[in-house]
Amino acid sequence: MKPQFFAVFLLGTLMLMPAALSSRGSPKYPQQAASAKPAPGASASAKETVPFPQVPRITGEEVERLAKDKGNVVLVDTDDSEAYAAEHIKGAVNIAYDPTVDAREQDQSLSALPGDRLIVFYCNCPHEEDSAPMVLEMWELGYDHDKVKALKGGLTRWEQLHYPLAGTDVDTAQEKGN
Amino acid sequence: MQCKIPAIGIASSNIVHYATGYNFKYNNGMPIRYVSVPFPFTGQPRAVDVGYVTGKDMLTGQPLMTAVINALTSPLTAEEKISGAPPEEAVEPRFLSPDSEDNLRRLFDDKEWTDFNSIILPTEKRVTAMLKGTSHKPDEVIKTINITGGARQLTVEKVAINAVMAGASPEHFPVILALATQAPFGNSTSSMANMVVVSGPIRNRLKFNCGTNAMGPYNRSNAVVGRAFTLMSKTAGDLRNDVNAWETLGNTMQYNNMCYGENEEALPEGWDPLHVEMGFKPTDSVLTVGTGWSSIASVGASQSIYPTHFLMRDYMSSFCASGSAATIVMDPTVAGLLKDVHGFKTKAQLSEWFSQNVTKTNASYWGNGVIQSTAVPFALQGLEPYASWRKLPDDALIKPFTNPKAIHVVVAGGKVQTMWFVTDFGIRRGVLIDDWA
Repeated sequence: MKPQFFAVFLLGTLMLMPAALSSRGSPKYPQQAASAKPAPGASASAKETVPFPQVPRITGEEVERLAKDKGNVVLVDTDDSEAYAAEHIKGAVNIAYDPTVDAREQDQSLSALPGDRLIVFYCNCPHEEDSAPMVLEMWELGYDHDKVKALKGGLTRWEQLHYPLAGTDVDTAQEKGN
Repeated sequence: MQCKIPAIGIASSNIVHYATGYNFKYNNGMPIRYVSVPFPFTGQPRAVDVGYVTGKDMLTGQPLMTAVINALTSPLTAEEKISGAPPEEAVEPRFLSPDSEDNLRRLFDDKEWTDFNSIILPTEKRVTAMLKGTSHKPDEVIKTINITGGARQLTVEKVAINAVMAGASPEHFPVILALATQAPFGNSTSSMANMVVVSGPIRNRLKFNCGTNAMGPYNRSNAVVGRAFTLMSKTAGDLRNDVNAWETLGNTMQYNNMCYGENEEALPEGWDPLHVEMGFKPTDSVLTVGTGWSSIASVGASQSIYPTHFLMRDYMSSFCASGSAATIVMDPTVAGLLKDVHGFKTKAQLSEWFSQNVTKTNASYWGNGVIQSTAVPFALQGLEPYASWRKLPDDALIKPFTNPKAIHVVVAGGKVQTMWFVTDFGIRRGVLIDDWA
């Protein structure tokens, strides 16, 4: 009997990444969702899931306090460059998270972040869907687990706290206010 | 973000065929039109770049700015109006049709499923035998790899096929599966290479070479595991020469990916193995992958008139220091000298010393293309130290290796010569091989 030979790759396995994968986990850290506590007044059916529960969160209040006290916090905005230009936390730098691209493609930028300061990633998304994967990738790059965190509630929460923002939208709003 | 503003791409002539030839429209949800300028434009006098702008589009032959306006304003063609999911590519059967060995080898080469060295043909019997090297199921997805135009699932069975092709035995399979979590390797015009370091008890169980000729072609385990990474990267990563693999020079280290084991038994007291420094237990078997470009050898024995770490420091100053990354591979005799003669009681102390003592001129630092693309945006956004460095004079000396934890030390070799390599390889966190047994 003649032996059968495997084709190395089956071209039929090609598929598009659906848009729903915008919070896809990295291969090593699959997106493990955990039930979050419902907001006060919310019904039990409104329970939401928290992606990447293994990623430590830090509150906006804590970041603001650390930044004021010691000034040694690096904030990283994971939105795309246009959104970053329009509005971001004052002093933040931009490394965009693209769920359709291997996170390792950002390694050159991520590894340029300082290793001796607290690094806080944030996104404009409710449960850190885009910032938490970046924290995981930083861990893969060897950064200390306690020095890389995700901002709980992201940009929205920061805005609610009326903490400093920057960007063209902010400038425009200020001009109108003046 | 949808701005609803017409946009086109301007690509240099060396890669524009890639942009126009691939089905990017399905990635981006809309067709992209391109105009093209000559290459290179980086590193050229400004007048040359101005000439490109005032010159002709390399695709249409029109004046460049006319081509830009035409591309922005002319109506979409029927093909450009295509939207939605891309058509499925032709499905290949799981098994190839029986054929002669010569024909099958030719087929594998034609499809670029090899590194163009001879492979072991992956028969059903061989792949089935390889799969016995792990408790994981053949259809388990190890990772999804994004390729141009879509994504591929890298399964245990597909890794087994590559492992067979590389000449591995089932005993090697857990190591290769751990390696598969890191596939594919880097694919960059800048011609990157990789380093695979094996740590822990599995080195001895599988007889990985950690001693004399650790990095040379003298050991089966080092050879087949290193090669498997290349084959997996090419097949799973869909890397094809001049189609989507466009490393301008390529890198000969990609044939074996510098696969070796650390000589843990020869470490000086107080110097931990690489995987232990990463937080693994000494009894864990771990595989670590690094990525970089360059390696500089000591070229000869250490000399008492100039301490070894001084020479390493000098050579490291020529690296771009992207991400503060460096990996120094040294013979156990060098490690002994550094500890006993120069007082470095741990690897971490040596890394810290390099971080504090490697310097280069500001101009040299910013003159590197990778630094331009990574650190310049940070500098413009105010991140220190980059923002301050940008304001320094060209001849000012800076310390570019700001993060000592990104400087790794690995001890390998056979105590035949006080020899070392300094490399600019950045190392990712290791993968537990035992998880893949």
